[in-house]
Amino acid sequence: MRVILTRLVSLPWLTIACVMILSLVGSLALFSASQGSWSPWAERHLIRAAFGTILMIGILLVPVRVIFKSSYLIYAGALIVLIALQAIGFGQGATRWIAIGPLNFQPSEPAKLAVILALARYFSARTPEQLNSFLPYIPAFAIVAVPTALVLIQPDLGTSLMLLMGGLIVIFCAGIPFRYVSAMFVVFMAALPVLWTNLYEYQKQRVLTFFNPGDDLLGAGFQIMQSKIALGSGGIFGKGFLMGSQSQLNYLPEKQTDFVFTMIGEEFGLIGNLAILVVYFMIFFSIMRLSFRIQHRFGRLVCAGISGMLFLYVFVNVAMVTGIVPVVGVPLPLISYGGTAMLTVFIALGLVNAMALSNDVEDEDFFISSSR
Amino acid sequence: MVIRNKRKLKKELLQRMGRRNFVIAGGQSLLGLLLAGRLYQLQISQNEGWRKLSDSNQFNSRSVTPARGRIFDEQGRLLAGNTETYSLSITPLNSGNLKQTLVRLSMLIDLPDEEMIAILKKAESQPKFMPVTVKDELTQRDLSRLAVRSPVLNGVSFSKRYRRIYPQAHLTGHITGYVSPVTPKERDNEPRWSRLPYIRTGKVGVEYALEQNLRGAPGLDRIEINARGKAVRIINDKKPQQGDDAKLTLNMEIQAYAYERLRKGRNDIVTNTADIQAALTTNDEIRSHFAAGDNLVLKDEKERFVPGESGAAIVMDIRNGDVISMVSAPSYDPNQFSERLLTRDWKRLSSHPRTPLLNRAISGLYAPGSTFKMVVAAAALEAGVITSSTRVKCEGHMEYGDRKFHCWFDDGHQLVNVKQALERSCDVFFYDIALKVGINRIHDMAKRLGLGLPSGLDLPFEKLGIMPNRDWKKENRGTVWTPGETIVAGIGQGFVLTTPMQLAVMTARLANGDKAVVPRLMAAEGQETEFAPLNISKSVLRIVKTGMENVLNGVLGTARRYDLDDYGLAGKTGTVQVKRITKEQREAGIIDNIDRPWKERDHALFVAYAPRKNPRYAAVVVVEHGGSGSSMAAPIARDILAQTIKVKGV
Repeated sequence: MRVILTRLVSLPWLTIACVMILSLVGSLALFSASQGSWSPWAERHLIRAAFGTILMIGILLVPVRVIFKSSYLIYAGALIVLIALQAIGFGQGATRWIAIGPLNFQPSEPAKLAVILALARYFSARTPEQLNSFLPYIPAFAIVAVPTALVLIQPDLGTSLMLLMGGLIVIFCAGIPFRYVSAMFVVFMAALPVLWTNLYEYQKQRVLTFFNPGDDLLGAGFQIMQSKIALGSGGIFGKGFLMGSQSQLNYLPEKQTDFVFTMIGEEFGLIGNLAILVVYFMIFFSIMRLSFRIQHRFGRLVCAGISGMLFLYVFVNVAMVTGIVPVVGVPLPLISYGGTAMLTVFIALGLVNAMALSNDVEDEDFFISSSR
Repeated sequence: MVIRNKRKLKKELLQRMGRRNFVIAGGQSLLGLLLAGRLYQLQISQNEGWRKLSDSNQFNSRSVTPARGRIFDEQGRLLAGNTETYSLSITPLNSGNLKQTLVRLSMLIDLPDEEMIAILKKAESQPKFMPVTVKDELTQRDLSRLAVRSPVLNGVSFSKRYRRIYPQAHLTGHITGYVSPVTPKERDNEPRWSRLPYIRTGKVGVEYALEQNLRGAPGLDRIEINARGKAVRIINDKKPQQGDDAKLTLNMEIQAYAYERLRKGRNDIVTNTADIQAALTTNDEIRSHFAAGDNLVLKDEKERFVPGESGAAIVMDIRNGDVISMVSAPSYDPNQFSERLLTRDWKRLSSHPRTPLLNRAISGLYAPGSTFKMVVAAAALEAGVITSSTRVKCEGHMEYGDRKFHCWFDDGHQLVNVKQALERSCDVFFYDIALKVGINRIHDMAKRLGLGLPSGLDLPFEKLGIMPNRDWKKENRGTVWTPGETIVAGIGQGFVLTTPMQLAVMTARLANGDKAVVPRLMAAEGQETEFAPLNISKSVLRIVKTGMENVLNGVLGTARRYDLDDYGLAGKTGTVQVKRITKEQREAGIIDNIDRPWKERDHALFVAYAPRKNPRYAAVVVVEHGGSGSSMAAPIARDILAQTIKVKGV
């Protein structure tokens, strides 16, 4: 009983509270997106949040050793699903979805967590000497590159970029020497033209449109222009709940998914937008802070990876709808409508909780045979 | 040792990770601030600009055409008003299958195939959310048939609009003028106004003169439009403001009488259907009158079918300038201009031999003939070249140089003074005194009486006529004025050209005697205008007016048979040659007007005021090719004045 209580206390309650708040904000936003109706999005969003909470509790109960041990397995499973997707997947213009019974499932979402777990496990077994040389990083890059490539060929440029960046954050947090970081940066810049030629036409168009949104106001530029109009016209306090003309009159595209932040901005203004950003940053920082309590590298890397990944999503989404970066199709975690992405966040939170409960575990514990 | 070393190393690794986490958190913070900054920029700094764009996304403003102000006569009888009508339009976006909807419509209303094709073409050429007009004007029957079936007519909508109507039609056509769709020039000058749906602007008459007062102010509907161009709701921002009503000085009872009296002339009205049929089949001119909407058939004294007379008749109040009646015949129906004027109708009006679109009262130019003699008499009396007793001998003609100037009375009037010369309309007397007083002084007197000047009525397309003098001749003809020209000017011929309205002003000023009366048609109620003094001596006016009185009550007065019972008239006849009489013709004997082709007959003029003592009304009648001023124009003027006194009193 006492053990349970101590464990309960050591859970990252602030993070959990923030996630719940954002899920509710998401429901309200979706209520508005469907012009003041619980269906089709808001009610499902709430159900998913409830289901996600159960999933989170289930995962936090799993001993961290088990998670550690099954990391590669999970990673392998994710790769298999991504490969299988090419054969049995579906989607409009891109194969991103897979059907499991009545549910449609987007495997690239949990693949991000698999990459983080695999990398964390990989790095937690490396010696300091290994970490200071280059060769041991090659398998780590491979861990990131394979799923990134698989997602890229779906094709899903946004998610693959997220995967890549998330993986790189974990590698960075694992302690890769700065000399390699700068070398990689040079290589990346050199590879840019090659990447460009391999982009699909619509992807190129999006990037070009980003630099010149006025060129194509009825096509790709339309979305970003309407998004800026909606945000900008919201002002400080917004036009009021359900009163956003851009959103309610359907000028704003994808307002239930990628542009949900814009809709909130139109209806609740700068105040609403900043409040949401503050809640997100509370999540990022509290996960980061948590990582300092953890005495094993596996846990620290998982936390850093998850915090970094969530941040990337929030940043790219908001930067996208405010016109700082091109529209790449990245949802806003916990608020955008989308089951797989949302459950992935809850699973991630479950993992973070599981790490939080393991602050008495150390690196060595993972490698000692089971009976302890 | 190894273990401790290992621990130390491990701690170091964890620390390195911690540092890296700090770097990441720092990076997150910086990027977070970047986002906050961007949001501040969009939502605070640029808020106004984005808000405007949002509004223009959201709302499509639609101007609402105001109802035009109405026009009334003096008694509040409607001369121009508005009637509500409905137009039918289709929004292709909402109709689904436009062609199918049109086919369905064609089963309910008159919609020929070529119109349907035109509508489909128009729909293709514009955005799908923009409505296309199917019918400008629905009948009440169409409207009810369509309303019942509207559930199966997708995208069909009705909108109310106004149509200009002129209940008095021909009777006031030239006074009200008409409205019609905007011209390209108007569109350039007033692009905003011209864009109003179904906008009409005044083109002539009062409609033109009072355009700014009559038009009102447009309203504004804001239509909330969604991204698919569908109107979600209509916000009535500003109600349209109907234009100001205008009350004219016109009296419809007198106007209608004057129009019909002028048109009848000396002829009999044919009412027998068989006769009208016969007239239509035998007489091209009557047929063209019928085609232009003028159904009057007359029989002249020689039992020939003739159309109504053409000319002008004006009645004016000599005290305040009120135009009580202003007739120009033939007239036109202004109603046909309000909507799309058919080319056929336009052709009939514009190619009509008697130009019904010309407002003869202000734009018809006629030599004043003998009605000008008062001007010459007044000029000569004022200049002192004659007195009331100066006599001139008329032997039927006057020789000047090698030219012979004829009096209308071949036998000659013998010795006549100015009053007698006016009474009998002796030409030789006026030839003589015109030479004595000179063209410049005649010109000055004419201008003081309002000839050759704008009447002040403020109606468009008014003509100034010609009031010549020496300078005018030099400037316009480049030659020197000759005495012969003064002689013919003495009897209101030659270069002199006036409008009936100018003659009315002249008569009103003579009758008033005190003020230089200016005519008005669009007076504000109760408004009295101050007129400039006329500055013609009472004694001069007394002589001239006695002459005018004698025309009616003198034993030899040219219009002595047409005096007005009870009140009495004063006036002057005018018979104006339109074709020079050659020497041969004169010797062979001049053919009677009635036997000449219509175009060659003399114009008949009569100016008059009544009552003879304490005059109140001035009238002018011009009958084009009417024959003689006395037998044709004088009785018309008398009857119109009698009607005026009957209606309005004295």
